[in-house]
Amino acid sequence: MTKHFYINLQKELKNHIFDYLLLFTAGIFFLILLNIFRGQRTIEFFVLVSFAFFYIIWGVYHHIVNETLHLKTVVEYILIAFIIIFLLKIIILP
Amino acid sequence: MEKIKTFIHHLFIPHEENNFRAKSLHTDFLTVYVVIAFLMMMVFKQGNIHDVLGFATDISVEKLYQLTNEQRQKNNLTTLSLNPSLTLAAKRKAENMFQENYWSHYSPDGKTPWDFILGAGYKYEYAGENLAKNFLFSNGVVDAWMNSPTHRDNLLKKEYTEVGYAIVNGVLNGEQTTLVVQEFGKPMVAGEATKNIPVVPNKPMIEKNTEQIVVQKAVAPKVNFLNFSFNLNLIFMSFLILALVLDFYFASKFNVIRIGGKNTAHLLFIVFVLIGLFMSTIGTII
Repeated sequence: MTKHFYINLQKELKNHIFDYLLLFTAGIFFLILLNIFRGQRTIEFFVLVSFAFFYIIWGVYHHIVNETLHLKTVVEYILIAFIIIFLLKIIILP
Repeated sequence: MEKIKTFIHHLFIPHEENNFRAKSLHTDFLTVYVVIAFLMMMVFKQGNIHDVLGFATDISVEKLYQLTNEQRQKNNLTTLSLNPSLTLAAKRKAENMFQENYWSHYSPDGKTPWDFILGAGYKYEYAGENLAKNFLFSNGVVDAWMNSPTHRDNLLKKEYTEVGYAIVNGVLNGEQTTLVVQEFGKPMVAGEATKNIPVVPNKPMIEKNTEQIVVQKAVAPKVNFLNFSFNLNLIFMSFLILALVLDFYFASKFNVIRIGGKNTAHLLFIVFVLIGLFMSTIGTII
């Protein structure tokens, strides 16, 4: 199982190296900002929301570049982002 | 049994009947998750279940006391007993930090931890203080103290025999904050009262550049709701990760080409958020 997973994961990352590097860099920035503003709950939540919105924009950009943009795809990114925002709001900003 | 198998297959494995996309990742299912997450958020907010002010903490005196003594036992030291005067000193110290707007071992007008301890009627031979803020769980507080050499020395000082705690929630510039004060002490024995003391206590740690305005309120929550919601979050995210991994694997294996979001990106996003979730449980100590 792992062989299939890794081969295809590598293939996906290699084919879109710039896009994934961009998302990865944003993720690192997200963690750095969380660390800087650790304990400041409103700012932590704002950082999370910003990362979630970046992720939606990243999804739209990625699919535009690959000419695979579809309304269903955009909705999928939005839904996943909002699931995460709502879940983490319980912890960060009750 | 067969029905359950079919359902799980339909839920996680992309095949013809679910349009070659795990049903658990279909837009309608994702919408249901959003609604569930939103309702959970509202229930937790409206229910005000974290505590009376709605602070997200799961720190209790009992747990801090237990964990502190466990650490001392591990290091072959005597356990500490809870002292009401030290508890009062910790409470007053926290109150003073709110009133005078500081986050330090020393108040802006020069009050030391020893002033609070003596002021609470505790005459000490040795005394010390550890502070922490914005942790979510008791074990996070004690772990952070144990990972800091100066706080560790305080926590494992063999001279101490008693301890007192205050856990106080409040607001700093609109920010909800939980403050933990831990006061250590060894009472002066009666015969030594004529020795013209206080003996110089161990030196507390100072942080200069932190602003803190807190309104005092509340003690630890009665029920472990934060732990519950934290675990619920982990279960929810683990479920999503499992669905994404299985869908990605089987779609690759069967060479399925379909319209939809990238599982790799979703996974990366959720993993970063999970790391962030764990980071948010860690506060600061001085």
